[in-house]
Amino acid sequence: MEKLLIESTKATPLIDFDSDKSTLVLKGQSYPENAFKFYDPVFNWIDSYLATNPQEIHVEVRLSYVNTSSSKCIMMLLESFEKAFQRGVSIQLNWYCDMENESEVECAEEFKEDMTFPFEIIPEAEKE
Amino acid sequence: MFDEKMLLDLQSTLGSRGILISFSGRFSQGIIEELGEAIMEHMKAEDRPRNDIYNVFAIFVEITHNIKKYALSKLGSDFYDQIYSSGIVTIGRNEDGYFICSGNLVEKTDADKLANALDALIPLDKDQLKKCYKEQRKKDLPPGSTGAGLGLIDIARKSSKPLHYSMGDMQDLAFFTLTVMV
Repeated sequence: MEKLLIESTKATPLIDFDSDKSTLVLKGQSYPENAFKFYDPVFNWIDSYLATNPQEIHVEVRLSYVNTSSSKCIMMLLESFEKAFQRGVSIQLNWYCDMENESEVECAEEFKEDMTFPFEIIPEAEKE
Repeated sequence: MFDEKMLLDLQSTLGSRGILISFSGRFSQGIIEELGEAIMEHMKAEDRPRNDIYNVFAIFVEITHNIKKYALSKLGSDFYDQIYSSGIVTIGRNEDGYFICSGNLVEKTDADKLANALDALIPLDKDQLKKCYKEQRKKDLPPGSTGAGLGLIDIARKSSKPLHYSMGDMQDLAFFTLTVMV
């Protein structure tokens, strides 16, 4: 299936989903004017991808800021992964955070609390 | 009149209240992004803790998106233009920390709903707000939703003091103000 690549902007993250490598990357800030509209193609791609019965999925998240409507969309995305995990798909999600930013870590932790698949919160290396 | 004195008076009012950034008028996504970035850069230059920078930015984004979405939802109303142009947001700093203070016109029936929602949130402590946020985030959204109903809860969570609001009577409409401290 085709890759999904959406370049980042100030208010929307990079979406780089590669079905061949089973690697899904979200990176940047997310506070678009209409989060549901922005994430709609992402949800559609994930639905088609999960329908191909992948064996394992690696997810890499580096979201330094997520507004509330994007947070709802991320939750919907994670719920799709959770359902796939319950069906036996192997999932590893790595969420990279600036550990000095309490709110950013809290955001990641609050997603992790609601999921049962392997979900790691990893300190983001200092950027120069 | 638009003269030197008017501008100096305006500048002195902004300065005396500690206002760093203010915008009055129609919010666009572009303006929200630029102002948001400007306040982040300002706070970084002042060496503020990352958490405070994040919270001020997040509150600013939620407030301005709320104002904009509310105005757009009034498309077709007699008051649409008046509501859309009525938004104002100021961000500043005083002895208690950073403040984000906003105002916009709302229809009277919406003013009551908003006041009820805020009255329900204000007495909640941080743990109760977290629970409320997580419950709301799990709810299925009605089709056509433009928001997740999480904005005010998030603002209350990130505020260091209880939210303060007022509803000023403006004949057919109410002028809603919200003050949030970080």
